[in-house]
Amino acid sequence: MKKITIGIMVALALLLFWVLLMRQPAGEHGQPGPAETRGGDFTLRSTNGPVALHDLKGKVVLLYFGYTFCPDICPTSLGFTSQALAALDKTELDKVQMLFVTVDPARDTLEKLKSYTAYFHPGIIGLSGTPEEIAKVAKLYGVDYAKQNTGSAGGYVVDHSAYTYVIAPDGSLFKSLDHGTPPAQVIEAIHAAMKKS
Amino acid sequence: MTNKFRSIRIAACIMGTLIAAPVLAGSAAESISVNDPFVRIVPPGMTNTGAFMVLKNADAKDHKLVKAESSASKVTELHTHTNEGGVMKMRPVKDIEIKANGEAVLKPGSLHVMMIGLKQELKEGDNVTVTLTFEDGSSKKVEVPARKIQTEMKMEMKPGMMHDHKNMH
Repeated sequence: MKKITIGIMVALALLLFWVLLMRQPAGEHGQPGPAETRGGDFTLRSTNGPVALHDLKGKVVLLYFGYTFCPDICPTSLGFTSQALAALDKTELDKVQMLFVTVDPARDTLEKLKSYTAYFHPGIIGLSGTPEEIAKVAKLYGVDYAKQNTGSAGGYVVDHSAYTYVIAPDGSLFKSLDHGTPPAQVIEAIHAAMKKS
Repeated sequence: MTNKFRSIRIAACIMGTLIAAPVLAGSAAESISVNDPFVRIVPPGMTNTGAFMVLKNADAKDHKLVKAESSASKVTELHTHTNEGGVMKMRPVKDIEIKANGEAVLKPGSLHVMMIGLKQELKEGDNVTVTLTFEDGSSKKVEVPARKIQTEMKMEMKPGMMHDHKNMH
């Protein structure tokens, strides 16, 4: 008798679990939501171990998605952002963290990401993960990227969104900066995000 | 329109043709001048880079850049970038048109000479030689200085240039 009761309880628990899973609205699986609902926590890997957004609470986080084979767009974005970082004083800089997430994990090793990001600013952390982990983070922020074989001798390229996401100290997405935003405007956005806490 | 005006117009046309004729006789390479070329120094270990420049066409007819070659990289191609809803797409292009009496601007985020597989790391002060070939088979050698991205940006931030930048947004 006891066995049957336990059996029923387990079955009920499974049923409840299944119902809760299915209750997720179908719309959430498609396109990224509108800008104001974008963003969210994530954990990816760096040369110094895992980096989670929630560990950076209290800091303004600048988040960029790119790849090291990118000869033009990524260096321009990182160049401008690192100039903004270089213009901050020490106490301000301690409250800012720039993250570079690769959209080409097959070619970008963590070591490669490290030497690449360090060239622009020693404080930038290069992040990678499995293709699925990266896709999940990209979706949170509404980043589009796709591998393309263009017939170039340089191998495939990766089309990618070139925004810099400014995340407020509370972990929420504060603003997206367009590609090529000049350093002065990046600094302005950092200061505005700092005030949000 | 009076006859007088018509004859002035015809005369102007003839004059124009006469002035343009000697230029037309030259090759594409002779008509095209290269301004402010630079090749971007990339982070250590990276072997792809872009070379940028302004190509000015003094000719009364359009020309096309059809090929770029350099001994500094394994492969050299002509590429462009397009921005589709914030997504940057880099693609090889067959040629780059330089309009009559106009210019083609090869700059970051846009058209560029793509250098794939740099044979050695570029340093400030280095020059790479790029040979540009045009649609009529004529070609031109260009000495392209290597520039750090930081230097490149400082030059871009010069007063007057800032204005252009704002217009991009």
